[in-house]
Amino acid sequence: MFDTLGERLNAALDGVRGSGNLDEDQVKKITREIRLALLEADVNYAVVKEFVGNVRERATGAEVSKALSPGQQVVKIVNEELANLMGGTSHKLTFASRPPTVVMLAGLNGHGKTTVAGKLALFVRKLRKNPYLVACDTYRPAAIDQLQQIGRELGVSVYSEGTEPPPEEIAERGIKSAADGGYDFVVVDTAGRQVVDVEMMQELQRVRKAAKPHSVLLVLDVVTGQNAVEVAQAFQEYADFDGMVLTKLDGDARGGAALSVVSVTGRPIRFASEGEKMSEFDYFYPDRMAGRILGMGDVLTLIEKAEQQMDREEAEADAKRLMAGKFTFEDFLKQMQMIKKMGPLSGLLGMIPGLNKQLRGAQIDDSMLGRVEAMVTSMTAKERRNPKLLQNQGRVRRIARGSGTTPQEVQKLVKQFNEMQKMMRQMGRGGGMPRMPGLPGRR
Amino acid sequence: MATQTEASVERDGVTEGSQDEVPATEEVLGERRESEGFEAPVKEATPGEVEEALPAPGMVEEVPDAETAVERQQAGGWFGRLRQGLRRSRESVVGQLNAAMAEFRDAEDEEFWERVEEILIASDVGVTTTAKLVRELEQEALQRNVTSGDELRALLVEHATRMLQGPVELDVSHSPTVILMVGVNGTGKTTTIGKLVNFLPGKAMLAAGDTFRAAAIEQLQRWGERTGAPVVARERGADAAAVAHEAVEAAKRDEVDVLLVDTAGRLHTKLNLMAELDKVRRVIGRQLSGAPHEVLLTVDATTGQNGLRQAKMFNEVAGVTGVILTKLDGTAKGGIALAIADEIGVPIKLISVGEKAEDLHPFDAREFAEALFGDL
Repeated sequence: MFDTLGERLNAALDGVRGSGNLDEDQVKKITREIRLALLEADVNYAVVKEFVGNVRERATGAEVSKALSPGQQVVKIVNEELANLMGGTSHKLTFASRPPTVVMLAGLNGHGKTTVAGKLALFVRKLRKNPYLVACDTYRPAAIDQLQQIGRELGVSVYSEGTEPPPEEIAERGIKSAADGGYDFVVVDTAGRQVVDVEMMQELQRVRKAAKPHSVLLVLDVVTGQNAVEVAQAFQEYADFDGMVLTKLDGDARGGAALSVVSVTGRPIRFASEGEKMSEFDYFYPDRMAGRILGMGDVLTLIEKAEQQMDREEAEADAKRLMAGKFTFEDFLKQMQMIKKMGPLSGLLGMIPGLNKQLRGAQIDDSMLGRVEAMVTSMTAKERRNPKLLQNQGRVRRIARGSGTTPQEVQKLVKQFNEMQKMMRQMGRGGGMPRMPGLPGRR
Repeated sequence: MATQTEASVERDGVTEGSQDEVPATEEVLGERRESEGFEAPVKEATPGEVEEALPAPGMVEEVPDAETAVERQQAGGWFGRLRQGLRRSRESVVGQLNAAMAEFRDAEDEEFWERVEEILIASDVGVTTTAKLVRELEQEALQRNVTSGDELRALLVEHATRMLQGPVELDVSHSPTVILMVGVNGTGKTTTIGKLVNFLPGKAMLAAGDTFRAAAIEQLQRWGERTGAPVVARERGADAAAVAHEAVEAAKRDEVDVLLVDTAGRLHTKLNLMAELDKVRRVIGRQLSGAPHEVLLTVDATTGQNGLRQAKMFNEVAGVTGVILTKLDGTAKGGIALAIADEIGVPIKLISVGEKAEDLHPFDAREFAEALFGDL
């Protein structure tokens, strides 16, 4: 029931592999799977219809390549069509030549506008901008408090006038206040609204008119279902947004709504918001989203994240020492911290193709990394460099106390560390991969 | 890198396909979750992250144009066609159903069934439940030799009603009755609590168990002011279970009828946060046997098929006794309710349709089915 498109296609193409060309029946079978998978991913049914039609046309058409198996070819077509649909390239932020740049957020209730306001402010500060937040949600109880608290946490100024004045006036004065204060990037947070509420939609229109934003972003929860299309159309009509922020991407929703919205409005998704930390916000990469919907993993992002965190030379030196069996708890700690910087473990694992399937239902908890880290940091420098010292029960007890764990846990960690070290030494000596007898150790 | 991956793939059942080297902390979490003193990991919203992820220079494009510096995507071809086709798609869904029903002649018309499928899917009913519903309907239509569209529509409503039917009564017979509110971020927990104060009989007390989201406590306090219900709260960042503990004590002491415990929104995929919820639940149960008497899951009516995952995971961790379908005042028809009732077996108990305190209603399966598929 929760199969990804990637798996569905693989299943459907199992029978196809090896045959020379796709016959009509096979194409039919495949397109059926694509249709079902996209529908389960919440892609709007009308979008699915068009999409599947396109794939069918291309699959039965003349594009038979000798380099690819028919199965690979279908996957390639689907992937291309998806990426095509999502807009192809990522859309970076642009800034007004005469600051401040004004960005207005709009969307349904509960989709994450206020959080995104904070995240966007932090994001542009990293781009050396000086952000300013304007609180125009005068409806939801404590919405202004929420923005103010976020502002305090980030050290970003928040403009508010309470809940009395009309939001369009708050927006106008807020932006003026930003310009006077020398801020060069203003985020206008608006109240969540339902698109059937015409009065509220007209209010949004007025705020837009008053704020004269350089960009209007529709904030959309990735779990949104079939009605994403109507929502987007209504916001397009009243707020004429030019891009979207897709939120709660750290969940396990497939995000077909994104596809629907892009295809019916022609507006690209510009940002991806994926967690509760203010820093978990980035440009949206459409080609990667295609992979997510397809369940093909997100290798590009993974590679990029790893590259950002790794110093190549350092890594090579580490590898050498490691192979020489000189791997210590210090190296272990360093590597662990590097992984942590790359983001939540569960997210990372989701990016590895093929792993998704095995890990489905598996529960990844990032806090366990913290526990191991606590144990290692509770060791003395000497102990970290010389794990043999940890045979001493007194030391083990001290570490357990220091890290809030139990001596058993520490012993277990040490034992596993020793085994790991032994294994690496073996590899370094050219003994081949242990427990993989088929592999020759030496050429 | 190898060691990292091993250390990171950590839990039972995860090991398939990974190294059989058992990572260091395999049982750590299990122990934590079992131990009563488990301190929920505090989620951080750290401004300290600032330095960590400076983007590479050159990513910013300066555009000289002071006017809208946004590149508009020109969409032609099938985008355009599609956009036309989807205008007012709600009307078109209902219209389609009407049209399909009008054209219905006999149950052997494959194309007809495909259209019905499409209509159900367009209402977020989901592929599996749709297939089941259509299969049932088709069988019955054949058996009874149904030939009119109206008859068929009545049959569709009938079947959907049956799927949706369940106990809608809230168990408020205890003193105090403790109701725990759970759900994903932004589904309307706090707002629904405010509405529940008016909806439920007797004297209510609120517990500000969302100690994570900025201003969530203040939001609940506003509802307390509006409805006159006392609010038990601690500072932001406090242990949610401790708040619940204190609130149950206060509810017993002050002899209130209903204690409504708010919790932070959490994605059902976040294991540590789900463990925290489990702890809140256990702490309440230890203090008042049989409590919480109701665990209500808020599901946003605009949610697509992910709603199933939400219901499944929250049910597993918190033992959900009922679903509250929120934001039904929008364009969404909430077909996901059908899938949840059918596939997860958790009854829908309440629907929330507006922003006012009185906009909460008991769920009526037939009414809902008629709204989904009835003649408009």
